Parts: sequence; structure tokens; C-alpha cells
Amino acid sequence: MTGRVIVITSGKGGVGKTTTNANIGTALARAGKKVVMIDTDLGLRNLDLLLGLENRIVYTIVDVVEERCKLKQALVKDKKNPNLCLLAAAQTRDKTAVTEEQLKDICEKLKKDYDFILVDCPAGIEQGFQNAVAGASEAIVVTTPEMSAVRDADRIIGLLEAKEEIKSYKLLINRVRPNLVKSNDMMSVEDVVGILSAELIGIIPEDTGIITSTNKGEPIVNTEKSLAGMAYRNVARRIMGEDVPFLNLEEETSIVAKVKKFFAGLMGKEK
Amino acid sequence: MSENIFKEIYAKVLSLFKQTEKEDNAKDIAKNRLRVVLMQDRTNLTPELLQRMRKELVELLSKYVEMDKEALELNFDQEGDQMALMLSIPVIRAKDEAEIEKALAEKESEKSEEETDEEDETSDDNESEEEKPDNEESEEENSEDETEDDEDKEETSDEDTEEETLETDSEEEKEPETSEEETNEDK
Repeated sequence: MTGRVIVITSGKGGVGKTTTNANIGTALARAGKKVVMIDTDLGLRNLDLLLGLENRIVYTIVDVVEERCKLKQALVKDKKNPNLCLLAAAQTRDKTAVTEEQLKDICEKLKKDYDFILVDCPAGIEQGFQNAVAGASEAIVVTTPEMSAVRDADRIIGLLEAKEEIKSYKLLINRVRPNLVKSNDMMSVEDVVGILSAELIGIIPEDTGIITSTNKGEPIVNTEKSLAGMAYRNVARRIMGEDVPFLNLEEETSIVAKVKKFFAGLMGKEK
Repeated sequence: MSENIFKEIYAKVLSLFKQTEKEDNAKDIAKNRLRVVLMQDRTNLTPELLQRMRKELVELLSKYVEMDKEALELNFDQEGDQMALMLSIPVIRAKDEAEIEKALAEKESEKSEEETDEEDETSDDNESEEEKPDNEESEEENSEDETEDDEDKEETSDEDTEEETLETDSEEEKEPETSEEETNEDK
């Protein structure tokens, strides 16, 4: 088996890299793929929290490279899905604890046993980014329709294009708020795609459910009726090569939101 | 049916205001600001270089028009796939022919006879020719004729500088001999 190594990166922090990683990973595993997620954000690990695995971590990636344990021992199995596991970052070390070569080596080894290796990249364009990208051949650039996030994504795309190992990169636009787009207060997906001129792999609507799902340590793809969850499941299907149309968020909100707004208004008045 | 008609009318009315709306809405402001900033990010022009370009443009254009130098705007813009450099200059008044002639003549004479300039404008351009830019005290540099600084001697010795650089023994001395003209920067 030769797995695909996909790095999930963004440049800017807080745009949803880790959430995206947890959800795509879970969705791929739900589809029957063997998936391992690597958290490379040394010192600021969070992927374990989003997956609800924080209490199960015994060894981290640093233990692996410093040979205190075998690679297999450090892989933490997901609570629900046996296809899914996590290689956690060390919380007490900094970005220098693992080198590009070491990460490349780990990815190579994991490729033999897994279909997908998802690398969660730290924010920024420094060594942490370089390390995370080192072993990958594909990238997903996460951005939001905000100026600062788009600008940083542009920078990241520039850096990815300069990397020979990265064969393709795709854009995932997170936290889209169709209402704001409609009222011309937020850039639309088309605007962002036009500015960055990159191929799109996903559009994720802003969803308060993400907050509760993070709090519970349960990726939102496991919530069947969530719109964001569905959007993430679609991203996973696209990664697997399916041709899935993008959710029409505008329509979704123009009807649903109006009704919701109407009722919300009524409720508000009653209070 | 009637609803559709209303919708159409609404759309038409909206389209009338589209031009003004465009200027105001947050989405387009963001888009335009982002375009500009990405242009700058993607080009290798540093703010210093842009500043210099701006300065040179001001010098060039002020020969022909009197303008508000402070309000000059220099921006990158995108027109389709083409990157454009947008220059906006508030013109106070156009100079008349005589003034332009004069300005050009000054420039000419400056070219042929001597190249004097304010140090802050051209110091880095001239360094290869005449002057080291770290020459803190020298406010004005003089080119072929008036070079005083020891540091420059090697570079300008082939000109008539030998005759002129007489009394100077300190490296930092200079003659305040400058007119308001500038050297041609691109040298």
C-alpha cells in the first residue's frame, strides 16, 4: 500500500486547520480508509483535543524520533473508528525537536500501512511549516473569506509552488457566512478563488456546531445533520476522487435562514 | 406574475445604484484592498523601492506640472491578469511652456556641466560614481567638478576633480555649492 501524504496548512492561525484535519481524517476513516493524522504543531498541540484523545496519549512524535518508542506504539487509536489514529505532537518541546528529514522518514514508513497520512501544520511560515510540508506530496490550504487569511494563504501558496515535492494543492474555504456574502459584507467563495486562483476542494459554512463538537471532542462529520459536517464529508469524497458538487449555501440560507430568522424574531419578542 | 415584475423593477433600480454601492460595501473594499496588498506581496518591490520610484516620478513630472507632491498616489492594481501601476497626481497647475523650457534647460546644463544634488535623494545612486552614502556630514555631493571627499578620489580622479580638491584634508568636508537641481537618478 502506498498512502497519500496530505499536509493541511494555512499560514494564518485560527482559520480551522486542525478542525479541518480532524474532520477530513474522520470522514475518510468513516469511508473505510485507513488514516493516520500527524500533529506537527510541537508545543501547541490541539488535534488530540478535537478528537477527544487527549487522555490516551502516551508517546508523541518526539518520543518516536528520539527512539524512546516504536512508531506503532505512538499511534493513538480513535475511540470509535479503528481505521483512524493519531500521532500526537509533544506539548513540552519546540519546533526544533523534529527535523524535516525525520518527518519525511515517518511519513514514508506510515505510507506502507495507511491510505492517508494527514499532516496538521502549525501556523506560520517558519521551520514548523517547512517540517510539516517535508513529507507531503499534496496540500490543502485552509483559508477563510477574510483579508488577513487570504493574504496569508497567498503567501503559503507561493511557498508551496516553490516546493518540488508538492505535486498539487487545493483550497478549502472555511467559515463562510452566506448571509454576510449576500449582504455584500463578506467576500464570496468566488472572490477568494479568483484572487488566489487555486483549485477549490471544499466550502465549509460557519457553524456554531463546530464549537460544541470541539468541546465534546467529537468531530462534526459524525453529526449527520450538520451542514458543516456534510461539507467536510464532501471534501473527503473529493479527496477520494469522487466528483461531488459543492453545497449551495446561498439557497440553503435564503430559505432556511429566513424561516429561522422569522422564528428567532418571534422568540426574541416573546422574551 | 406580478411578483416577478416587482422583482425585475427592484433589480433594475438596484442596478442603477450599483456603481455607488460598489464603493461602499465591505466586500468590495476588502477585495480591492486585498488585491493591492497581494500585488505588493507578489512583487519584489520593497516599500523603500516604491518610495524611491515615487520620488523619481515626482522629480520628473514636476518639470512639467506643479502638483501636490504629498497627495501623489502610487498603487498596484489588477486589470484582468495584467498588473497595472496606477499613478494619481493632484495637479495644482500646469506649467507654461517657458517654465518647462527653463526646467528642461536647467536639467540640460546640469547634465553637461555639473551634477549636483541633495544627498538624501540620490546618495545610493551615486555611490558607485562619486560618493559613499554613509558620508554623514556631507549634505550635498558634488560630482565631477567639486568632489571634495577623500573617499571619492579614486573614483573621480579621472575627471577634473584633482584641480578642485585642494584644501581638503578631512574626509567629510564639502562645498555647499549645490543648486536645487538633481542628478539624473538612473545613472
